[in-house]
Amino acid sequence: MRKDADNVVPKVEEGPSHQALKFFFTPVDEPKPDVENHYAKSTTHLPEVVAALREQFPDAVDENIHEYAGEQTVFVDKAHIVDVCRFLKEEQSFVYLSDIGGVDRFTDEDRFEVFYNLVSFEKRKRIRVKVRVDEEDLDVPSVTGVYRAANWSEREVFDMLGIRFTEHPDLRRMYMPEDFEYYPQRKEFPQLGIPGSLPLPPQTPEGELQYDPFPAAHGRLTPKSYEEPVSKYDGEDD
Amino acid sequence: MSAKPSFAAADLGQAFRFWPRHNEAIYDRLESKHAWLEERHDDTSDAEDPLENEMILNIGPQHPATHGVLRCVVKMDGETIEKSVLDIGYLHRGIEKLAESKSYQEFMPYTDRMDYLSPYSNNVAWCLVVEKLANIEVPERAQWIRMIMCELARISSHLLWLGVGLMDAGAVSVFLWAFKGREDLYNIFDEVAGARFTVSHSRIGGLASDVSPTALAMIRDFVDSFGDDVDGWEDFLNRNRLWIDRNKDVGTITREEAVELGLTGANLRASGEPYDIRRFEPYLRYEDVDFDIPIREEGDSLARYFVRMEEMKESLRIIRQCLDRLPEGSIRTDDAKLAYPSKDEVYYSMEGMIHDFLYTDVGVAPPKGAYCYSAIESPKGELGWYLESDGTGNPWRARLNAPSFANLQGLEYIMEGSLVADTVILIGSLDPVMGEADK
Repeated sequence: MRKDADNVVPKVEEGPSHQALKFFFTPVDEPKPDVENHYAKSTTHLPEVVAALREQFPDAVDENIHEYAGEQTVFVDKAHIVDVCRFLKEEQSFVYLSDIGGVDRFTDEDRFEVFYNLVSFEKRKRIRVKVRVDEEDLDVPSVTGVYRAANWSEREVFDMLGIRFTEHPDLRRMYMPEDFEYYPQRKEFPQLGIPGSLPLPPQTPEGELQYDPFPAAHGRLTPKSYEEPVSKYDGEDD
Repeated sequence: MSAKPSFAAADLGQAFRFWPRHNEAIYDRLESKHAWLEERHDDTSDAEDPLENEMILNIGPQHPATHGVLRCVVKMDGETIEKSVLDIGYLHRGIEKLAESKSYQEFMPYTDRMDYLSPYSNNVAWCLVVEKLANIEVPERAQWIRMIMCELARISSHLLWLGVGLMDAGAVSVFLWAFKGREDLYNIFDEVAGARFTVSHSRIGGLASDVSPTALAMIRDFVDSFGDDVDGWEDFLNRNRLWIDRNKDVGTITREEAVELGLTGANLRASGEPYDIRRFEPYLRYEDVDFDIPIREEGDSLARYFVRMEEMKESLRIIRQCLDRLPEGSIRTDDAKLAYPSKDEVYYSMEGMIHDFLYTDVGVAPPKGAYCYSAIESPKGELGWYLESDGTGNPWRARLNAPSFANLQGLEYIMEGSLVADTVILIGSLDPVMGEADK
């Protein structure tokens, strides 16, 4: 194991338009909405739908419409997400739920985001609706009552980020086993996992359960599923 | 009444030493919705015969018919599936988390391992979303080549579906025929990309290398001969009593159900919904080529078979047009801040080497706070990426919208009420790939 002193990150002076990142510079550019994006599609540009949403839900729909690469994102108060989805499905023909996903913004307020990717075949449009979720209150109303397809996607968001969807019919973890107690997609979760959090099968039938998926990364030996033959060399050269 | 599976990890000794709560939750889920079933069978005295009573059966995760590591826990009444719970995640590698610590170009080999039956489509899906986020223009020639390769990947994926699906139904010979076609495709990929299987040939801003005249000749040969192969298989299969009987009216889903369940790709189109990203929001040059989207109204396994067979022929049509219209020109953006410089520049000029180093180190850095979604029509359906940037060379959040994941959710519903013998056909006909569904 290396000592921490060997791992000191070189200090870099922060300039006005640069951000120090580990050991290299990366310019931080703000998005420039007036630049034409080559990949902007007409399907994601939907001012009429946004106007209809604003009219129907004057309090729930946020003033700011995020727009990048020709895609409009509507921010909605999370308490109204079911009503908004029902309105979009029944009045605006967004019958197809393509995807639900979560984002960990790692901010103090409104840390998480859940986005809903809805498609209207009739209008040939795609809309993204986002809700912000604070870390203190991780409950979001489930839209499974409106879109059946939301079932597994919401389970996945719960599994990965720990956002609880209230009134979800079957809020189990999607990928990780129920015995796991962490939310791996959160930013603070280490990439190599947490040793001891999940027992893994032993390497041999009689062997011990493994509690660390990456023992070498934590200074331990990797268990082997076989007996290594005794080498006739004792490891010392010559 | 059949004995309620009083699942407790302790009673089963060593059988469920790991994750006892996980199995318990699955069995709870199987029980909860059908509590009335137990009451119905409460008074029967001869509860020993499993054909007369509910039985819980685990199909998979290690079962050849599950096409990977899919675990179906089904509760059966006789031979009919009363309730099915799919347990996925046995191949979960957390590629969304991995993407957050990789640079955009560095992540591409991981996309090969998602839908490992059509790696080229995954590469292109990833390139397109990064190019959209960073607004990188791709030269014409690269776009046309990407289209050819994507359609070849579609054929390759459908060939595996055909061979394996028929092998599940008992016809081993078609598997061998299909793999002969796949072998030709592997050779083409080898010639184009230098790898037979996990190609990683597309690059952000273009392609890794141009296609050689040999590769173009191989593609042309394949296109000329493969149509006859498909016709021959159709002659054999479309009047094959076993194949038709095994598929007809199995796993029927109506158009409304398919849309409601969020099915994608050929499964949605076989139910009558003409949703194809190549038409819905055309990417690459799909606007400029002439092709049809095969549709069926029946929504059963046979309809899905017909749709996929037609799709292979349409792919050939697209490839032919691409070959005829393939323009000359560069294959990668000539901007070293956005794409790799060519190897000539790297080896023979100092600036080229510096740029190559910088691109490997940091790569492209899209604007801070920008996010976008880009989808392609992969062989399995809508393959979308939601990508969010924090202004650095690594994505802040990469979210994969996997078509197999959506289709498997539909499978859970379709399996309920069907016969247990049909599960094999159903899994084959929905064509899930676990590498993609499990992320």
